[in-house]
Amino acid sequence: MLTKKLPPLQSFLSLVSRLGSHLARQHYDVIVVGGGHAGTEAAAAAARVGAETLLVSQKIQTIGALSCNPSLGGVGKGQLVKEVDALDGLCGRAGDWAGIHFSILNRRKGPAVWGPRAQLDRQRYREFIQSELLSTPRLTVLEDSVEELLVSEPNPEEPGQHRVTGIRLANGSHLISASSVVLTTGTFLSGSLFLGQSMSPGGRIGDAPSSAGLSQTLRERLGLRIGRLRTGTPPRIVKDSVDLSLAHVHPPDSHPTPFSFLNTHTRCKPEEQLPCYLTYTTPGVERVVQESLHLNCHIQQDTKGPRYCPSIESRVLRFPGRQHQVWLEPEGVTSDLLYPQGLSMTMPPDVQLRLIREIPAMHRAEIHTPGYGVQYDFVCPTQLSPALQVKSTQGLFLAGQINGTTGYEEAAAQGLWAGVNAARWALSMPPVALSRTESYIGVLIDDLVSRGVTEPYRMFTSRAEFRTSLRPDNADLRLTLKGFEEVGCVSTLRYQEAVRVRDSLQDALAALQALSFSTHNWRKKLPDMRMSEAKGTVLTGMDMLQYNDVSFEMLASAFPECLSPHMEFSQRLKIEAVYRPHCNLQKKEIERIQKEENMSLPQDIDYFSLPVSLSQEVREILDRVRPSTLGAATRLQGITPAAIVHLLNYVHHTGQKERRTHRNRPDQKKEREEELCARNAALPQ
Amino acid sequence: MLPSIHRGIWRAAEHILRTSTGTPPCRFLSTFNGVPVGIADAETIFALSSGHGRCGVAVVRASGPASATALRCMTGLTRKLPPPRTALLRSITDPQSKEVLDRGLVFWFPAPHSFTGEDSVEFHIHGGPAVITAVLQALGSVPGMRPAEAGEFTRRAFQAGKLGLTEVEGLGDLIHAETEAQRRQALRQMSGELGRLYQDWTHKLKRCLAHVEAFIDFSEDELIEDGILNQVDKSVCDLQAEMERHLKDERRGERLRSGVQVVIAGATNAGKSSLLNTLCQRPAAIVSPIAGTTRDIVETALDIGGFPVLLSDTAGLRESPDLVEREGVRRARERVEQADLTLVVVDCADLPSDAQRAAAFLQEHLGRVLPNQEQPETVYPADRFLLVLNKTDMLHEEQKLKLDRELRQVSGLPPVCLISCHTNEGLQDFLTVLHSSVKTLCGDPLSGAPTLTQARHRAHLQQCFAALAQYQRYRDIDLALAAEGVRLGLTSLGRITGRVGAEEILDIIFKDFCIGK
Repeated sequence: MLTKKLPPLQSFLSLVSRLGSHLARQHYDVIVVGGGHAGTEAAAAAARVGAETLLVSQKIQTIGALSCNPSLGGVGKGQLVKEVDALDGLCGRAGDWAGIHFSILNRRKGPAVWGPRAQLDRQRYREFIQSELLSTPRLTVLEDSVEELLVSEPNPEEPGQHRVTGIRLANGSHLISASSVVLTTGTFLSGSLFLGQSMSPGGRIGDAPSSAGLSQTLRERLGLRIGRLRTGTPPRIVKDSVDLSLAHVHPPDSHPTPFSFLNTHTRCKPEEQLPCYLTYTTPGVERVVQESLHLNCHIQQDTKGPRYCPSIESRVLRFPGRQHQVWLEPEGVTSDLLYPQGLSMTMPPDVQLRLIREIPAMHRAEIHTPGYGVQYDFVCPTQLSPALQVKSTQGLFLAGQINGTTGYEEAAAQGLWAGVNAARWALSMPPVALSRTESYIGVLIDDLVSRGVTEPYRMFTSRAEFRTSLRPDNADLRLTLKGFEEVGCVSTLRYQEAVRVRDSLQDALAALQALSFSTHNWRKKLPDMRMSEAKGTVLTGMDMLQYNDVSFEMLASAFPECLSPHMEFSQRLKIEAVYRPHCNLQKKEIERIQKEENMSLPQDIDYFSLPVSLSQEVREILDRVRPSTLGAATRLQGITPAAIVHLLNYVHHTGQKERRTHRNRPDQKKEREEELCARNAALPQ
Repeated sequence: MLPSIHRGIWRAAEHILRTSTGTPPCRFLSTFNGVPVGIADAETIFALSSGHGRCGVAVVRASGPASATALRCMTGLTRKLPPPRTALLRSITDPQSKEVLDRGLVFWFPAPHSFTGEDSVEFHIHGGPAVITAVLQALGSVPGMRPAEAGEFTRRAFQAGKLGLTEVEGLGDLIHAETEAQRRQALRQMSGELGRLYQDWTHKLKRCLAHVEAFIDFSEDELIEDGILNQVDKSVCDLQAEMERHLKDERRGERLRSGVQVVIAGATNAGKSSLLNTLCQRPAAIVSPIAGTTRDIVETALDIGGFPVLLSDTAGLRESPDLVEREGVRRARERVEQADLTLVVVDCADLPSDAQRAAAFLQEHLGRVLPNQEQPETVYPADRFLLVLNKTDMLHEEQKLKLDRELRQVSGLPPVCLISCHTNEGLQDFLTVLHSSVKTLCGDPLSGAPTLTQARHRAHLQQCFAALAQYQRYRDIDLALAAEGVRLGLTSLGRITGRVGAEEILDIIFKDFCIGK
C-alpha cells in the first residue's frame, strides 16, 4: 500500500514559519541545518526518536530537491536505500512515490548484489519529502540561513572540549538554542561554482551561497581539520531537441519492485513508466575537450574528485580513444528535460553546446541549464564518532557531503543515523552505533570514521566484507527490529509488520526443514529436476531449494498443504535457502568482530600518558584517530598486534573499575528505554 | 617486493587479529568487562612446541576439539582415552597409512585443565627432523586440524583466562617478538623462487577478484562486457591447475635453508671474509687486502655448539660505481634484512681513539649497516646483533683494555667482542657469545623450522584451492557467491603473502576500467 495521499503543495508551505522570531519556541532538542537528503532524513529521524526538532533550510522550495541525477539506488546504493527504509527513513517510500522507471540491476548476478534502482520525477520526490516532513509530529521547518554555530564550555561529565548550544540566524541576531545540532551543508560549506573560466561562490546553481560564518566556526573555533573536494553535474538538455531515434531504448522492468518494505507496489503503474536512452561519445567529443582545456579552470585544479563519477573531461583524458556511454534519463513525467548521465562538464556554456552536438542523437540539441563544477569544504571524518558526532564537540553531528561522501543514498544513510544520535544526545540517551557486520550503513560509517577519505566516498558492494549476509532482501530483519527495540526510530506499525515477516519466515523455514526425503523420493515428487546427489542421501526442503532449478513455487505445488500458506515470501525463502550455508560460515567471523567492537575505548584517553608500553608512533596514530572501539583500532594502519594487546589489557582494567562505580547504570538505561517505548507507543502513527 | 617494516608487522597482525574472512586463526578476546568469555574455537591447531635444532625429545602439541580424535586415530586408542594428565607410552601411527612413525609418550589434557583451557594432546617423540615432519604431516591429515599460527597457543590460553595480568603484559612483547620472527621468515621465503610463485598467484588472483567485482559493481551501467568473466574463468582454471600440480609435488623448487641464519656484514676491508674463514676453519672465502674482494654471498653451513647455523659472508657496504659490486651490496643488505643474527664487523683502526666517541661511532655505524633506515630511533634488539671489533692485533695492549673496559659501560650497544682473525686472539670469548646467541635463537621454534612453515603453506594453499572451486561451482548460479570464493582464496593466499584489502581491489578496478557513473 502507498500510505501517502498528497494534498496540494502550497497549503503546506503556509504552515511553515519563514521568520525565526515567529517560531513557537526558542529552544529545540535538535536543530538540523540543511534540507537535502541528509538533512531531511536527520530531521525526520530525530523527530521519530522523540526530539522536538527544527529543520532550517535556506529555501523551503528546495527541500528534498535532487540536485544532480534524477535517480535513486543502484548497486550498493540500493542496499543503503533498503536499510534507510528498514529504519523507517523517507527515501525508500519517496522513491516508490516518485519513481517513473524501476529496474533491479544485477538481476543475473545473485540476490546479494541486486541493485534496486529507479529514475525519479524530481517534482514528485520533492513533494513527497516536503509533505512527509510537514506531517511529522514534533518537527518544525524554518526558512532562513544560519550565520553561526553557538558553542560553549563542555559538560565536564562527558568527553569533549566544547559543547554546541544552538545557532545564530543570518537575519539580524536571532538566536535559537538547542541541545544538538546536525550540520548537513552538502556542497554549500565554502562552496565555489566553476563554469568555464569563471568562479563564483555557491553550492548549487540558482541558490545563494551559505554564510562564511559556519565554516569559520568549524575551522577556527572548534579547530577541526577541513579538506576540499570537488564534484560536477552535466548540462540539462531540452527533450524535444534530441533525436531519440538515434539512441538505444532502455526499458524499465515490466513489474516495478518498490524500495520500501511497507509498499507492495509503486505509485507509477507498470505501463506508465518511461524509458531511458543509451548513446555514446564520438571522437568529436574528445576533440572539443582537448581544444577547450585552457578555458576550463575546474579541471585544471588538483582538488580531489571522485574516480567513479568523473567529468567527461577526466574520462577522455584518462581513457582516450574510447567510446564512453551517455545515458539520457527522463527528469519527470511532465518535465521536458533530459539528464545526460556521464556528461558532467565544466567548460564554458558555448563549448558545452558544441560538445553535446558531437553526439549523433544530440546534433541539434539545446541546453536548458549548463553543467558546472563545485568545490566545497568537508570535515575530515576521522574526527567523528560512530554516532557521527564530532568527537571534540558535544552535541554537534555531521552528515552527508560535509563528511566527504557523494551520493543521495550515502547522505540519507548518514543523515538518518546522525538524526537518531542527535535526538538521543538531546534526550540523554546513550549513543548507538551500527556495526559493519550488520549493515551497509555500518560499513559506510566505519569506513568514514576509521579510515577517512581521500576522494568523495561512494558505496560499492565490494566494500562490505559480509555482502552475502547484508542483502537488500533482509534489511528489515537486520535493522527494523533493532531500530524499534534498541534505537527508537521505527514506528510501531512498521515494527509489527517486521515481526510478522520474521515469524512467517521462521515458520516457512521450519516447514521446509521438516520436509525430509531420500533423493529417490524427491525425484518422484519433483520429476522435472535433475539431481546429482547419491541415491541414499536424505535431503530437506531447504537443501532442495538450494538447487538452481528448484523454486519455492515448485515445492509448494508438490506440498500444498504445508507450503502454500507461505507463498507470500517465496522469493525471500529461495534467497534464504541459497545463502544460509554461506552466512553460517561467516557468522563466526562476524561474532568476533562484534565482540571487538563491543569493547569501547574511552574518548578522553590521553594516549601519550597511558601507562602501558606503546611506541611513540602508535600513540600518535591512536591520538590522531581516537578509535572508539578496539575493533576500529585493529583496522588502523600502523597499529601493531602488541599495541592491541596492551589496549585490550587497558580496557579490561578500566572496564572493571567502571563496573564498580556504575553498578546501577544498566538499570537506568533500561528505564529510559522503557519510557521511550511508552512514549513511542503513545504517538499517533 | 620487500614490504616496509611496518607493513610486515601489520601483516602479521592481520594474521593474528582479523583475517578478514574465512576461518579466523584465533579469537582474540578473553575478557569483556572482566568476565571471561573464552570462546571455544572450532578449529584445532597443532605445532612443534619444542625448539629447533639438535634435541633428544621433541614435543608436538595440539589444542582444540579435534585433539581427542587426533590422539585416538594416531595411537590406536579407539576404545577410551588415556587417563588425564598421565604419561602413556604408545606407538604413534599415521591415521591414513597406519604406518608406525615413532614410539613415544602421549598426554591427554581434557578441557579446562590444560594450558589453553581446551582439550589438548601432547606427543613426546624423538627429535629427528624426519620423525617430527612425519608426525606433523599426520596431524595435518586429521579433519579439523591445521598448523598453529605463531603464538596461537599462548593466545588461546589468554582467551581462556589462563594467563594472569602480568603474563598478559608479557604477551604483548611475545607477540612483538613473534611477528618480528615471522616477518624475517616471510622475507626469507619471499625472496626465493617459491616466494615469487606465491606472489605471482596473489597478483593474478587479485586481478581476478578486481574484475569480478568490477563486473558486479559497475557492469550494468558501464562498458564492462561479459567477456571479462571468461577471462577470469580461464585465469581461475589455470591457477587451480597450477596449485594442484604444486601441491602434489612437495619437493619441487624449494631449497631448504635449515638452521639459524647468521650474516656477517660491515664496511669493506673490515675482515668479514677472514672471520668466515676463521669460523669454518678453512679458506671458504677469498681474502685479500683489496677493498671489495667479496662481491657475492658466500654461504657455509656450520655447527656451533650443536646448533645448525648457516653463515653468510657478504660484500662490504659502500657506494660503488661498479655495477657488480653494487648488486653485491644490494644482496648484502637483503641478507641482513632476513638474518636471524647479524655479526657487524668493524676495523678497530677505524675507531676514534676516545672511547666515548668510539661508542657514538659504533652507533652510527650500526645505523648504516642495519636495514631499518626509516626508523632511526629503533632500539637494536641485543639478541639480533653482535658487534665484532676485528684486527685488535693492530692496537696497543693498553688501548685494547681501555676500549674494552669503556665500551662495556656504554648502554644501548649490542654485545661487543674484540678479536683478531689474524692471531685468533679473543676468538674463544667470541665463540662463547655467539654460541649463547644461537642457543637463544634455537630455543625459539620460529627461527628456521622449515617443516612448520611448509605445513602452514600447504594448509593455506589447500584452502585457496578449495575456495576457487566455489567460484567454479557458483559461476553461473550466483556471482556474489562465486566472488566470495575468489575472495576467500585470496584471503588464504594472503596468509602467506600478505593481506589484500578492499581498497587495493578498487584501485585495480579504477585503473583497468573507465567507470563513469
